[in-house]
Amino acid sequence: MKRSRILGLVGIVWLLASLGVIAYATRLGLILAPVDALQGNIFRIIYYHVPTSMLSLLFPYVNLVASLFYLYWRQRDPLKALTADAVAISSAEVTVVYATICLWTGMLWGRVAWGIWWTWDARLTSMLLLWLLYVSYLMLRRLSSTGQTHTLAAVLSVFAGIDVPIVYMSIRWWRTQHPAPVFGGGGDSGLDPSMRPAFWFNVLGWAMWGIFLLVFRYMLERRRQESEQDAALQAIEASLEIAK
Amino acid sequence: MFGSSMAAHHLLYAYLSVWLIQGGYCAWVAWQWMHTKLDSRSEAPPPSEEF
Repeated sequence: MKRSRILGLVGIVWLLASLGVIAYATRLGLILAPVDALQGNIFRIIYYHVPTSMLSLLFPYVNLVASLFYLYWRQRDPLKALTADAVAISSAEVTVVYATICLWTGMLWGRVAWGIWWTWDARLTSMLLLWLLYVSYLMLRRLSSTGQTHTLAAVLSVFAGIDVPIVYMSIRWWRTQHPAPVFGGGGDSGLDPSMRPAFWFNVLGWAMWGIFLLVFRYMLERRRQESEQDAALQAIEASLEIAK
Repeated sequence: MFGSSMAAHHLLYAYLSVWLIQGGYCAWVAWQWMHTKLDSRSEAPPPSEEF
């Protein structure tokens, strides 16, 4: 069997598995998990908001590592640099998707829980900054026409990566409107045991989905790169034909 | 299922918008995939060594 066909089958099985886990986790979160005593049903947003927020702080590290490899390889091994670049743009887009969901679901929750859509506290502001940094990364790659675009984007990604630990630590360093960490935030933190299956199955499901998106987007970028290389090769061949 | 309060609406919007954003992005990647054609030489089987 051809390698591409095997990869396609693995991708479809992975996609179906992630959709199955998300469906099960959603049922747990919406129906089977108990109603929160303080906030009522709106608390169920936590099963989507926190897992996607956690993942929106992990994908930037994929982007950071890929960008560092790109910067290292761009002179030494251009083919490997292209691979790293494809991973970098894929992870940046997935980061924007997850960070958008984090901000939007947080606003919907905040409107009900706090009575306001937005407040400029450290967690929300640093998360918005992270989103803006990755949107600007994608815009730079899309709109810049210099030959150094990929290098500039890789450097921007290194600076964007610095914001990730600030977002993570913001609710530990400063007093914020945003609640304390769900896990690892001291004695009062943590979820009731009856809510944990819904939470962790959502983490698993959205992580599997995110990995699927990342790999799918990476394969698209590699396809584009090959297409561009073919076009360049054809242009060279055509110019050689004219020169004959 | 959760009534018609603002909280119920926001819960519904949150879940629906997550599916919409994730599904929309996946559909966009799939559409781009379908419309990014590889050169015919890349898709063709490797040339036979028989002459």
